[in-house]
Amino acid sequence: MLVSAGDGEIPVEGGEPTTTRVLEAISCVLERLVTRNERVVSSPDSVRNSGKGLSVFQGVRAPSISISKYLERIFKYTSCSPSCFVVGYIYMDRLVHRHPDSLVGSLNVHRLVLTSVMVASKVLDDEHYNNAFYARVGGISNSELNRLELELLFLLDFSVVVSSRVFESYCLHLEKEMMWNGINQRIDRNMSSSTGEETEISVGDTMQSSSPNAID
Amino acid sequence: MAAAAPGQLNLDESPSWGSRSVDCFEKLEQIGEGTYGQVYMAKEIRTGEIVALKKIRMDNEREGFPITAIREIKILKKLHHENVIQLKEIVTSPGPEKDEQGRSADGNKYKGSIYMVFEYMDHDLTGLADRPGMRFSVPQIKCYMRQLLTGLHYCHVNQVLHRDIKGSNLLIDNEGNLKLADFGLARSFSGDHNANLTNRVITLWYRPPELLLGTTKYGPAVDMWSVGCIFAELLHGKPILPGKNEPEQLNKIFELCGAPDELTWPGVTKMPWYTNFKPTRPMKKRLREVFKHFDRHALELLERMLTLDPSQRISAKDALDAEYFWNDPLPCDPKSLPKYESSHEFQTKKKRQQQRQHEEMAKRQKLQHPPQHARLPPIQPTGQAHPQLRPGPNQPIHNSQPPVVAGPSHHYGKPRPSGGPNRYPPGGNPSGGYNPNRGGQGGGYSGGPYPQGRGPPYAASGMPGAGPRGGGGGGGGGGGYGVGAPNYPQAGPYGSGSGAGRGPNMMGGNRNQQYGWQQ
Repeated sequence: MLVSAGDGEIPVEGGEPTTTRVLEAISCVLERLVTRNERVVSSPDSVRNSGKGLSVFQGVRAPSISISKYLERIFKYTSCSPSCFVVGYIYMDRLVHRHPDSLVGSLNVHRLVLTSVMVASKVLDDEHYNNAFYARVGGISNSELNRLELELLFLLDFSVVVSSRVFESYCLHLEKEMMWNGINQRIDRNMSSSTGEETEISVGDTMQSSSPNAID
Repeated sequence: MAAAAPGQLNLDESPSWGSRSVDCFEKLEQIGEGTYGQVYMAKEIRTGEIVALKKIRMDNEREGFPITAIREIKILKKLHHENVIQLKEIVTSPGPEKDEQGRSADGNKYKGSIYMVFEYMDHDLTGLADRPGMRFSVPQIKCYMRQLLTGLHYCHVNQVLHRDIKGSNLLIDNEGNLKLADFGLARSFSGDHNANLTNRVITLWYRPPELLLGTTKYGPAVDMWSVGCIFAELLHGKPILPGKNEPEQLNKIFELCGAPDELTWPGVTKMPWYTNFKPTRPMKKRLREVFKHFDRHALELLERMLTLDPSQRISAKDALDAEYFWNDPLPCDPKSLPKYESSHEFQTKKKRQQQRQHEEMAKRQKLQHPPQHARLPPIQPTGQAHPQLRPGPNQPIHNSQPPVVAGPSHHYGKPRPSGGPNRYPPGGNPSGGYNPNRGGQGGGYSGGPYPQGRGPPYAASGMPGAGPRGGGGGGGGGGGYGVGAPNYPQAGPYGSGSGAGRGPNMMGGNRNQQYGWQQ
């Protein structure tokens, strides 16, 4: 269990190691997802489209910051509870299930993560930073974040409740994914070294116009 | 996470919230007005059903979608109970200048407005209790209390803390049903009480001692304290603990319930703010003395609700089993309760204008006559379900002219009707003059010199522009139990928004801010 869940609500507990693991697990899963989706998208048959539902989240270029660094950054500055990341991830998952034509890709993943975590923290934490602060941390404008927030809420049909049972099952899922991913990475490395083929699409190597601004 | 879910059918969704436009409703009249936005009584065009539309205020750019609204929606989506207000859906109104994708010029397709659609309720408990001459019968009080406890028990079983139980958040319809409303401060809790929660919740007069002493680990007992305050208020006829600030609030509590020590409340001396607020002198429990006019079972139950130590405080479930509810006079059937005048009738614009004029005059009137707070105690047990004894100058049903609109000339300052053996003096109302605006005023006079806003959330009277404004600040309340404070904390039950001016409220101001204080 990554984060222990209480009976009714997601607990706010979680020391450093736990938090790190949660962030690691989520960024692993997201990175893998993005990589996979990019492959799908770049294959000639598919339409290059992130889905109508997520179009607002689409940036012009992929931000140079990696997902894991971005998550770390959000955690570092907003000090929201680790559960917010799990719940934010659950929102993203709900989103793509509700809108099956939506693909999480390198162009929208950052905005999706930022918005989801922020909404999760509004839902979960008694004390939290406002949108203006999240916008600065995330490197987008206040008004854009507000727009994304509304978009997310409506796409989710306001289903922001996460039961502890669902929460726990996602934690398990994340944990498994991470283990699997660890193995997979090793396999991947072996494969690419043997074939010399570049299969991975990096999320963070493009020039960008929307990387988060530094915050002092 | 599935990239896409091929072959998956999304069948579990009924028409999604937010998909309908507010145009599906015909706004009948504005029934609430506050910093949180407006509340309208409206009719769904297709079905003819009357609903309440609460506009979600979206103009605070830094805050984004109001957290109170997110929480209220979140909680109400999971609660379904006859004693909990039903959130029916969320509707949007299209913003101006839409392009073909439904986006307005700056790309925000929700630039218009967002409304929460609630079932319509006629009154709130405070507004009802404050109607001139209103006097609840004992079976009626039992009936309301039982519904309150049933609804709260349901919340607690579903691990939701309401955290703002007070009369103005208890809505009552003309079928006698009582429903908990305003879940803007509510949150889920875990069974182990280990999470750190904010103690800046619950309107001051109803806030339990553990929160005032700074605890951040608490549970359903906080709501039960508030219930105790309301219970006593119903029986006593006015708020029992009208503190002006936190130290005074705690002091009033200690004066009534005695000063706690390690014997009566193990661990109290370790509470975060105990040293700051610890009682300066020994105080003994005076509850039974102060409320000696209550009947035995009521006093017994009240004592268990107003228990300082939250771990010893009675739960909603146990309270429902209390002798009080199972002894004569029994709680009455909600349906047998009198119907107070309905707010359903549509009022013409003309009438509104007239009323506005009245309001203006009443406002001026108020400036000259500081309000008296005097709610009447219940009429004594009669065993009757129908309180025919309900005395008072107001006629129960007179549709065209709500008593609310006291206007300048109406003074309900006639001798207090003494229906039933009134065993105790109505403290703190020396003049006997009713504040003409007390009853069901539903505000409307918002922005008056004092935050009357005690009216029903949607003005029982159906007054336009009425509603809970909780006009902030307000005059000082009196000390002791005798004097009701004019600055009654109030906000509409539909007004969870950012509700500034909720009287001596948790943050004394903008509710949104309490979550943004790190900013």
